[in-house]
Amino acid sequence: MVEVTEDTDTKPIGLLIAAMGGEGGGVLRQWLVDAATAHGLAVQSTSIPGVAQRTGATTYYLEMQSDKGTAVAGSNTKPRPVMSLYPLAGNVDIMVASELIEAGRAMQNGFVTPNCTTLIASTHRVFAVSERTAMADGRFDGTRVVTAADSLAERAVLFDMEAMAHEHGSVINSVLLGAIAGTHRLPIPIEGFEAAIRDTGRSVEANLAAFRAGFAAVERGDLKALVPDSELKRPWRGDPPMVEQLQHRVRDEFPGPARTVLREGVNRLFEYQNLAYAERYLQRLMRIERAELEAEGHGELVRDVGQYLALWMSYEDVMRVAQAKLDPKRQARIRAEVGAKPGEPVRIREYLKPGLDEATALMPGWIARPVLAAADKAGWRERLNFGMTITSTAFWGHSLLRILSLLRFARPMGHRYQTEQKYIDEWIGHIAKAATLDLQLATEIAGCQRLLKGYGQTYQHGWQSFSQIMDVLVIPALNGDTAPGDAAVSIAGAREAALADPEGKALEAAIAPVTPVTPVAGKDLAAE
Amino acid sequence: MERSFSKEVQQLRLGQGETFHGEGILAVTKALLQSGVSYVGGYQGAPISHLMDVLVDAEDLLSELGVHLETSTSEAAAAAMLGASINYPIRGAVTWKSTVGTNVASDALSNLASAGVTGGALMILGEDYGEGSSILQERTHAFATKSQMWLLDPRPDLETIVRMVEKGFELSEHSNTPVMLELRIRACHVHGAFATSDNKAGEYNRNRRLEEPVHDFGRITLPPSTYAQEKHKIEVRMPEAIKFVREHQLNDHFDGDIKDVGIICQGGLYNATLRALVQAGLAETSGDSRIPILALNVTYPLVPDEISNFCAGKSAILMVEEGQPDYLEEAVNVILRKADLQTKVIGKGPLPMAGEYTAEVVLRGLSEFLVQTSPKGLDLAAATAPIQELDQHKAKAAELLGDVLPARPPTFCTGCPERPLFSAIRILEKELGPTHVSCDIGCHTFSTLPPFNLGNTVLGYGLGLSSAAAVAPNFNKRVISIMGDGGFWHNGVTNGIGSALFNKADGVLMVIKNGYTSATGWQYLPSTLREREGRTTGASIEGVIKSMGANWLRNVPNYKVGSVMKTLREAMTGKGKGLRVIVADSECQLAKDRRIKPEIAARLKNGQRDVRTRFGIDEDTCTGDRACIRLSGCPSLTIKANPDPLRSDPVTTILDSCVGCGLCGEVAHAAVLCPSFYKVDIVRNPNLWDRFKDGLHRRFLGDMTRVRV
Repeated sequence: MVEVTEDTDTKPIGLLIAAMGGEGGGVLRQWLVDAATAHGLAVQSTSIPGVAQRTGATTYYLEMQSDKGTAVAGSNTKPRPVMSLYPLAGNVDIMVASELIEAGRAMQNGFVTPNCTTLIASTHRVFAVSERTAMADGRFDGTRVVTAADSLAERAVLFDMEAMAHEHGSVINSVLLGAIAGTHRLPIPIEGFEAAIRDTGRSVEANLAAFRAGFAAVERGDLKALVPDSELKRPWRGDPPMVEQLQHRVRDEFPGPARTVLREGVNRLFEYQNLAYAERYLQRLMRIERAELEAEGHGELVRDVGQYLALWMSYEDVMRVAQAKLDPKRQARIRAEVGAKPGEPVRIREYLKPGLDEATALMPGWIARPVLAAADKAGWRERLNFGMTITSTAFWGHSLLRILSLLRFARPMGHRYQTEQKYIDEWIGHIAKAATLDLQLATEIAGCQRLLKGYGQTYQHGWQSFSQIMDVLVIPALNGDTAPGDAAVSIAGAREAALADPEGKALEAAIAPVTPVTPVAGKDLAAE
Repeated sequence: MERSFSKEVQQLRLGQGETFHGEGILAVTKALLQSGVSYVGGYQGAPISHLMDVLVDAEDLLSELGVHLETSTSEAAAAAMLGASINYPIRGAVTWKSTVGTNVASDALSNLASAGVTGGALMILGEDYGEGSSILQERTHAFATKSQMWLLDPRPDLETIVRMVEKGFELSEHSNTPVMLELRIRACHVHGAFATSDNKAGEYNRNRRLEEPVHDFGRITLPPSTYAQEKHKIEVRMPEAIKFVREHQLNDHFDGDIKDVGIICQGGLYNATLRALVQAGLAETSGDSRIPILALNVTYPLVPDEISNFCAGKSAILMVEEGQPDYLEEAVNVILRKADLQTKVIGKGPLPMAGEYTAEVVLRGLSEFLVQTSPKGLDLAAATAPIQELDQHKAKAAELLGDVLPARPPTFCTGCPERPLFSAIRILEKELGPTHVSCDIGCHTFSTLPPFNLGNTVLGYGLGLSSAAAVAPNFNKRVISIMGDGGFWHNGVTNGIGSALFNKADGVLMVIKNGYTSATGWQYLPSTLREREGRTTGASIEGVIKSMGANWLRNVPNYKVGSVMKTLREAMTGKGKGLRVIVADSECQLAKDRRIKPEIAARLKNGQRDVRTRFGIDEDTCTGDRACIRLSGCPSLTIKANPDPLRSDPVTTILDSCVGCGLCGEVAHAAVLCPSFYKVDIVRNPNLWDRFKDGLHRRFLGDMTRVRV
């Protein structure tokens, strides 16, 4: 059932493969050459492997032409056609991309044209360095590539070929070959490709299975392009029996749009500390709810603050980390992640490096404050820590984690807890006041919680950014010194700037025009 | 090499009437054997590495033919091998990556070119220019003209390439001149076919040795011989070469029906030129073109009457010459001026001065040429339509895609032992402040790219330390120089360490010893520990450095970031002047992988115990600040959608491609990052003790390990 859409007697079929090092692109090229040669096609291929081995992007380009009367040199028939070593836009009949952004790059270079191009691309993402190092979310919006593909290609075949390959214990190149065969753009029957895979002699069964799966997927045509983040979320937590009363409050006292988030918040904080802590969460939100109601909002502000507040109130400390490491579901998750088979014991070792911040967190403030101040003065704050690896699957390591986790009952007495609560209340106060001026302003202030992440120095740095924005942009807006609408815009801008680089250069540049800033290094937890 | 080429070696044995299927560079190798070479040498580098790699695996065949193979330690050493062809009727070929390799080889080449050759001497040069190139952008052409060596640039199909190798030897012998054959990246890697002939043994070879030395002072590069040699080049060798090229029709002339314009192109660009013509509707892929084409398989020397005959009667020609300066365009202009022809030479202008000539670039230049000359009998609108459509199409694609797509620069492989060194430098920077880092050539040059962005200069292979010689005395901190073991043996030991010790330099040198020239495909080095055949050469980097008189020498295991930092701190801040050498010693991960994977597979198959290690990140405690990625950049350390319904920014994660090198954990400790990293040991084919221990722990630990295994 081979349908050749091009006249391959006079014009070569161009096939361009965009891949990355380590994906078996060279093998895919070889399969195609072998299958084409075995079926009497004149074929030429070339590549620029270069430094691709090291995960860089690379391309392979093939041309093949029906061999009616053409032959290799030495025979007395027509000479071989002159084939190009370069793909040329308008001549690429099959564009293969092993990853979504590489498909985008092919389109950017003009290689996908509506007159002839069948685009075959895997929709999984291999994130580039710039996307991986971004402090917040630097991912390129993949839906743009999918939209462009639908508009630019004669036919677009898009699905997650990496996942399919993984499923069959193979590498993506065999699924790609299956997809190429499935489009019937090459005058080669499926048996020809299978023979090429067999001839390689390596991982033949797995490769054939993945090849056939790719072939069938394209033939069936029920392909799913992208999986949105929302489908990758864990389910909401179930309600523990003790929080029933609080959940009633969520339903009765809070607006519809906020209820799902608040219910999660309550459950999370109950687990984190206790029922009273979860109740305190709702009390804080009541303030916001009233302010929003007065400002004629519809519950979006409470929902957003509810989200950020739950995250802030469950801040990461030693007890929380120990609790997370003891999560009963964790070991099953890890076993699945590393592909441990039943009957294979696993040993898990945790890399922890508690320091002065962690140690003082549980001390009362009157001890912790002078200790931290002295450490700061001596420059020890970041250097006083000790690295340890705890085997959480063994008796002693497990027991140690259990003790640390139980220390959470002492948490409210500690210095860290008290300072965090103080700052949370201040922040809630700002939001409530801002809501009376401008709901957008309040939302932007709430969003600044995103800056408080990480541990150690990263956390300190987040604090600095947060405090800078509060001092320089939020307070003046609340005092009526700046217009609330303008302030909302500049706070949003400053927040993004704070997440742009780890050194805080972009943030300085963003808030510099407002007012010259003196460093606020002292304004961290220790200084209070 | 930790890789076998036995399949390719079979192709080298093909005889008369058989068909070779394979890569361009391998076709060259076959053509060398068909030409009766007695020696082959070279220095590896993309895109010609395979020529050497395959021959290393073809020892039996080489013994039969009496071919000596030398894996030289530098291009200079390879070029000097051609000295065998000066006095003796011995054919030989050497290979390297140009122009960087030709730079290194220049000393020997100038002397060789002056002395002239008796036996055919051929250089196979990988012209690493354009997209995918890993080096600075220059042309080999300049070397050919300055020393008067002939330069071949064959059309990129296997038949022509093979023919030019064979004719190249004849040309070399006929004109007593060494010949260069340049192949672009895509031509080296082009897969095609050609009809083979039998391999030949050289007249003299290692099975049939020379008996008498030849002494001819005329071949020695000392005055007054050198004066005579220069005259001989101009009066005899050049005219003989031109005669040979003309008589053997080494250049290809394709006629066409449009008579008032023509195209002269480098042979290597013929296919791109023809494809541009096809796209413009002016040619068929069979090779029939409406515009006449002169494809220069020999770009130096040019044959003046061939050029003037082609141009006579034409109002203009398009000169398709890649790179700069425009040597050919100038030469063609001079030829036409001398012949008093008024044909206009149009080249640079419609075609760009810099950059690779892809089919699209040539199509753009061709369209502009046609607009400028509007040749008779040609539908200009139809011929220029394709490039306009292409531009519109690209604009539409850019609009649909919106933002600029993230670039994908190369980086260190997963588990690379070089990464931890740069993590250590970055972490230590916070404590000691940044200093000047003098980089070298090798995989380690990737330190200059994100996420490390470390390194201030790259001056050439093995020159990391030498290029710090004048920075160090003018810099207020100790300067760090980098050198790989490849660079060490290439020339770093003399130019770098020798010079630094002799001049009592103060500074830190980090020699990265991974056991191979990894960036070019894991070729062995004098200090490589193991070879597949079980041989070791026994050369020791530490031994050499000590014997040269360096007093401060430390050896560190790369993956221990803490100890690398400690050693580096000591080197940077220690009292007293002098060169401090740190040898960072860990095997290339990819080579190691290739070596041990079959071993592990065999162990598992036999039911033997094996522990697989990999790392992971707790998604609950990862807050996604990416400090870990910025200090590592490992391809397996990446991000994924956040599973927490309350968070939107992605979390950091470790892919199954992780090899468990331990860097994440080391960095998390050394830089005090976060408690999210964990290491997992998976015991495969567990023994009784493993199972007993595991059972005991699970019983004790209750709910945490409630999972059934």
